[in-house]
Amino acid sequence: MTEGRALILTGVAHLALLAGLSLTWSMQQSSFPSFSEAVPVEIVEISDVPRITEPPKPSIDAAPQELTEDAAPEISPVEAAAPEPEPAPEPVKLSPVPALEAKPKPLPEPRKPAPPKAEAKPKAVKKADTATEAQELSSLIDKALPKARRRPVDTSDVARSIEKSLPQGARLDARATATLEQAIRSQVAPCWNPPLGGEDVRNMTVLLRIQLNRGGAVVGAPEVLAQTGVTAGNQAYARAFAESARRAVIRCSPLQLPAEYFDSWKLFELNFDPSKMT
Amino acid sequence: MRLFPLMFALLTVIAAPAHAVLRVDINSGIQQPMPIAVPAFATPAVAPTAAGSTDVLGRQMAEVIANDLASSGLFRPLDPAAYTTRVGFPDVAAPQFPSWRTIAAQALVTGSVQANADGTITLGCYLYDVFSEERLDAQNFTATVPTWRRLAHRCADLVYSRLTGETGYFDSRIVYVSETGPKTSRIKRLAIMDQDGANHRFLTNGQSLVLTPRFAPNQQTIAYMSFAQNRPRVYVYNIGSGSQQLVGDFPNMSFAPRFAPDGNSLVLSMAQAGNTDIYRLDIGSRRLTRLTTSPGIDTAASYSPDGTKIVFESDRGGGQQIYVMNADGSGQQRISFGDGRYATPVWSPRGDLIAFTKMGGGQFKIGVMRPDGGGERLLTNSWQDEGPTWSPNGRVIMFFRTGQSSRSRAGNADLWSVDLTGLNERRIQTPLDGSDPAWSPLLR
Repeated sequence: MTEGRALILTGVAHLALLAGLSLTWSMQQSSFPSFSEAVPVEIVEISDVPRITEPPKPSIDAAPQELTEDAAPEISPVEAAAPEPEPAPEPVKLSPVPALEAKPKPLPEPRKPAPPKAEAKPKAVKKADTATEAQELSSLIDKALPKARRRPVDTSDVARSIEKSLPQGARLDARATATLEQAIRSQVAPCWNPPLGGEDVRNMTVLLRIQLNRGGAVVGAPEVLAQTGVTAGNQAYARAFAESARRAVIRCSPLQLPAEYFDSWKLFELNFDPSKMT
Repeated sequence: MRLFPLMFALLTVIAAPAHAVLRVDINSGIQQPMPIAVPAFATPAVAPTAAGSTDVLGRQMAEVIANDLASSGLFRPLDPAAYTTRVGFPDVAAPQFPSWRTIAAQALVTGSVQANADGTITLGCYLYDVFSEERLDAQNFTATVPTWRRLAHRCADLVYSRLTGETGYFDSRIVYVSETGPKTSRIKRLAIMDQDGANHRFLTNGQSLVLTPRFAPNQQTIAYMSFAQNRPRVYVYNIGSGSQQLVGDFPNMSFAPRFAPDGNSLVLSMAQAGNTDIYRLDIGSRRLTRLTTSPGIDTAASYSPDGTKIVFESDRGGGQQIYVMNADGSGQQRISFGDGRYATPVWSPRGDLIAFTKMGGGQFKIGVMRPDGGGERLLTNSWQDEGPTWSPNGRVIMFFRTGQSSRSRAGNADLWSVDLTGLNERRIQTPLDGSDPAWSPLLR
C-alpha cells in the first residue's frame, strides 16, 4: 500500500518534471510567453479560431508586458513603409582609377543598398510578428482552457486549431496559394531576360530567396540559395544567369501583391528555370 | 493530469519546423536585347593625341562600343538624346544610378580616356548593373594611339562577356575576297578589316585570282589559294610584313587550306589524276602526310578546336556529304544524312557544332549540326548563302550571299552574319562586293 502510493507519487513527480522541462524547452524554442498562473482552457470549434486576416485582440493578461511594449510602437513604421518602397540609393565610392583584375571574381555578393529611412528594421518586423503570434495563442488558450475540464480533449483537434490560428503562409488554402503564385509569376516573368547562349541554359536553374516589405518592394538583395547545371566550364555563364534572375526581381520591384497575404509573401523563393523557353 | 495531452499538443505544434516557404517557379521570360547606356567617355584632362583630343576620342570610343553591342543583337544601346545626365570624370566610378533608371537602362558602361606620357592612351572601362547599383567589372586597357579602336573593342568584349557569360568577339578581324568588275574578268583581291568593318585595306593587288583565305591561330598569317602563274596553289601571307610565300611547290593544284589549332601544320587538298585527297603539311619541315585515299573528291578539311579530329566533305558516296575522321586520317565516318548535299564544313571554336553549306532545290543555305551529325538546323533561308566562318566565341556565323539572277544584286556577293539562333541577320558593309570571309581568332 505504502509502496504503491510511493510508486504513484514518484510517477506523478516524474511526469510533472517532464512536463515542466518540456514546457521550459518549448518556451525557449519559440519565445512562447510564460504564464505561471493557471490559465482557463476552453475548447473552441475550428470556425471560432481567429482568422488569419484579422488582427488578434491583444490580451494583456497573457502576453508578457515587455514584449507588447517593445513591439507595439514599432508596428506602425512597418505600415508607413508601404508608400515608399523604392530603396534610397547610396553613392558608390570607388577609387577613380580602376584596378586591373587578373582573375574573374566569384559570384559577387550584391552590394546592399542602405535601408531607406521610412522602412522598419527587419528586427522590429520579426518582433512584431512574434508578439502577434503570442497574443493570438494566448487569447486562444484563454478561451480553450475551461472547456478542457468539461470534456475529454482531442489533442489533434487542438493542435490543428492552434496551427490554423498561426498567421503564416503555409496556412493559405490551395486556391489562395495558386493565386499568389500566379500573381508573382506574372509580374516577374516579363522582367526576366535570361542569357540563352549555348546548350548550358537547358540544364541551368537558380533558386533565389526574396524578402519584400509591405509595399512589395525588395528588401536587401535577393539571395542565391541554389543553382543547378553549373560546371567547371560554364562558371561565367552561371554567374550571368544568376544575375539575370536577380535583375528580374529588382526590376519588377515593387510587386503588386494582396496585402492580406503579406505573411505569405514577405519571404518567398523563386526558382528560375528556362528549360521550357525556346 | 488532463492538461498533459493539451501540453503535448501545444508542443507538437510549436516544436514543429517552420512552415514551408512559398516557392514559385519562373519558367518563362522575355527574349529582348538588353537596354544599355554607353555615354561618351570622360577624360581627366583634355589632351591632344595623333587621333584627336582625348574628349573626342572618348565620344568615338563610346560609339564604337555601342555599335559592337548592337551588332550582337543581344543589346539595345539607348539613344544618347534620351540621357538625362552627363557623365563627368568623377561620375565614371560613381554613376548617378537613378537617372539611368529613369531611361530604363539595365546596364551602364562608363569610361575614361587618358593620354599617357609615353604616347599611349589608356581606356578605363567600367560596367555597372543599374538596378542593383553594383559595379560588375572594370579594367584598364592601354594601347598606341592609332589602335584606339581596339581599346573600345576590348571594352565591348568585357561588357559582352560579363553580361552574357560567354567570351566576346569584337576585338577580331575579317579577311575576305573583295570582288569587282564584270563577271568575265572579275578582279579578286584579299582584303582585311576589323570585325566592324573599320580599318579596311587590301592585301593583294588583284593581278591573280585568290580564294579561301584562312587565318592562322596567331592572327598574323593567312593561308589562301592563289592562281598566280595560272597554277592554283596554296600560299601564306604575313600581315605584318606583307610577304607572300608558296607553302610547297607541289606538282598538282593545291587548295582549301586550313591551319591546325597549334598553327604548326595545315591541312589542304591536292588533286592527282582526277582524285582529290586531304593532306597535312607540317609547316616547319614541309613534310606532307596523306590523310584520305578514297577515289572521290575529299576537300574542305577543318580541325576540331582540340586538334584531335578533322571534318571534311567528300563525294565518295555519290553527292557531297560531311565526314569526320581522326587527325591521323583514321576512323572516317559520314555524319550528314539529310536531303540534299552538304559542303564547306567548319568546326566551331567551341567544339560543339559544325557549320556547313547545304545545297538542295537550287538553293544554298547555312546550317549547323553536332559533330555526331545530330541536331541539324538551318540558320538562313535565302537564295544562295555559302562559306560559313565562325566568330571567335562560336556564337555568330559569317558567310557570303549571292543575289538571285532576277534581282537587283544579281550575281553579286555580300558578306552577312547570323546569330546561332538564326536571328539577327546583318549585312557587313564592304567597299566592293565580298565573298569567302574568314573570321580571325581574338586579337591579343
